Amino acid sequence: MNAVAASVGVALRGRLVLGVAVGAGFLALLLGLLALTGRDPLTVAWTMASYGFLDPNGRAETVVRAIPLCLMGLGVAIAFRAGAFNIGADGQLIAGSALAMAAVPFLVGLPGWIGAAAFLLVAAAGGGAWGGVAGWLRARFGANEIIVTIMLNYVALQLLSWLIRGPMQERMRMLPRSDALPVPFRLPVVLDGTRIHAGVWIALAATVLLALVLRRTVFGYRLDMVGRNPAAARVGGIGDRGVVVAAMLVGGALCGLAGAVEIAGLHFRLQEGIAVGYGITAIAIALLARTEPLAVPVAAVALAALYVGGAAVQRQFAVPFPTVKMVEGLIVFAFLAFVALRRPGARGG
Amino acid sequence: MEAAILIGLLASGVRFAVPLALAALGETVSQRAGVLNVGIEGVMLIGALAAVLCAVWTGSPWLGLLGAIVAGVLFASIHALFAVILKADQIVSGIALFLLGIGLSGFVFRLTLGSGGRPPGQVPGFRPLDLGPLGEIPFAGPVLFQHNALVYLTVVAVAAVAFLLARTGWGLSLRAAGENPEAVRAAGLDATRLRVVAVLVGGGFAGAGGAFLSIAQLNGFVENMVAGRGFIAIACVVFGRWNPVGAVLVALAFGMTEAAQIRLQILYPALPHQFFVMLPYVAAIVALVLMRARSGQPAALGR
Repeated sequence: MNAVAASVGVALRGRLVLGVAVGAGFLALLLGLLALTGRDPLTVAWTMASYGFLDPNGRAETVVRAIPLCLMGLGVAIAFRAGAFNIGADGQLIAGSALAMAAVPFLVGLPGWIGAAAFLLVAAAGGGAWGGVAGWLRARFGANEIIVTIMLNYVALQLLSWLIRGPMQERMRMLPRSDALPVPFRLPVVLDGTRIHAGVWIALAATVLLALVLRRTVFGYRLDMVGRNPAAARVGGIGDRGVVVAAMLVGGALCGLAGAVEIAGLHFRLQEGIAVGYGITAIAIALLARTEPLAVPVAAVALAALYVGGAAVQRQFAVPFPTVKMVEGLIVFAFLAFVALRRPGARGG
Repeated sequence: MEAAILIGLLASGVRFAVPLALAALGETVSQRAGVLNVGIEGVMLIGALAAVLCAVWTGSPWLGLLGAIVAGVLFASIHALFAVILKADQIVSGIALFLLGIGLSGFVFRLTLGSGGRPPGQVPGFRPLDLGPLGEIPFAGPVLFQHNALVYLTVVAVAAVAFLLARTGWGLSLRAAGENPEAVRAAGLDATRLRVVAVLVGGGFAGAGGAFLSIAQLNGFVENMVAGRGFIAIACVVFGRWNPVGAVLVALAFGMTEAAQIRLQILYPALPHQFFVMLPYVAAIVALVLMRARSGQPAALGR
């Protein structure tokens, strides 16, 4: 027993040392880049890392941003589980938002919360269709889903640009945006004095639901089988094509839901700013969470805080906002380095 | 269609094709060696920015091009380190490269040119060459012989890459590294080194493709200006069946699509322009769907 405990201790210490070494290397690189701005890199880095957690306003904004990031992170994670790369979360968010807003005139007659629920479901259907098409094209024609989902992002952006200047433009025809979402469809603020809305409960419910589906259902089992070894799954009687389509469909639905939640809780309109490039951040979230649904909200909060911190250093020190994307890239590389070096027999480790 | 419109379409199609062709050529080399780089969009962005910075700094578009190629090689070396040497997941490493490319190019741009720097017009860019009588040939002259030097260099590069891959010992080793790296090792060659070189070559070409966008077409840098062309270049490689000439011909078709959509916007002002803008992206999806058989794909691609 002692020997086992000792070896576990050594392994843990080894991981810790490695993690610290990789982290320190990337931190040094980041500080060097931040020094280019002419500000004190330590102050900038500290503000960026801490503002979203320590400042009361920053903390609230972190939660607000974490809501869509969590839903989209789940959407990317489920595709990962099936061995598919969903880079199209932004397009699915737009497709869901647009379809839900287009459905509003048909939903206004519904009583109370049923209308609001229908609004969210329509968005999930729209996002699911957008993601499902990419899954189907891969399953049926072998079309690479990475490129297809990216291309569908650009198509969705153009469709959105047309809709808010054409058929779905506000009655006033002043700005490129839709009419406001009627009040009964909106999500209430759950914490007075902040912008935190009931979407936070939706994101958490989706997290728990997805975790249950992956752990307790046949679908979850099939998903893991296909993701780990499609050939073996096929031999075992699990059709990998259907599973990939289903995973992309459910993933797209979660991203579409994220769009409806953003509109019903925050923007109240269809407008160009609804897709701010969270889709790629969602990939980083799914990776950092290692596709485990219960870890996705944690990773979403961490990267949401990075966004909020990035906005803070832009205001306070005029550090350019793309720094956030740069840090995200460095985080994914640090994650990869950690994974690669920890692997037995890895080179350079 | 009137001849003038057709000539304009074909000539500008060639220009739109060059950045895609350069990036696709580099990606072909990389993928033939077995390394998928889905982050060339990021490499192109870095190349586009480096080209503008070097061209403005030195006053020479040629040094701008050189700067873009060097920057592309250096930036792709990150992918070589992770995807080849550390054997990390190639796709994840490529996505990280894409993210870092967007972030780093935006960051450096805002610190340099973006903060009251030079307006686009003052960037020393490539100008069309005067090829004398060739340029005056009816039809073929304006379509083929009134371009800048980079267009002709691209044609030379296609021939060089096709020759190197198909007819030299190095090309054979490189392709073997993409088909069966274990066999390459058994033959006493360094498969890792071959793959690293292929990724760096791919980075240099993607950097040059970015340079064409910024110092031969737009004469300036705009954040995210590559606008998905890096991913379309990957579609070109697939549809061109991993053959350098094939990839470039597909790039030419995409260039024509891009040139056509701009002209269609003008011809049909009543239709929403957004539907024309999305044409190249839809075309890329259609290309991937039509390309059903995977024949030609390197056997060890991605691992």
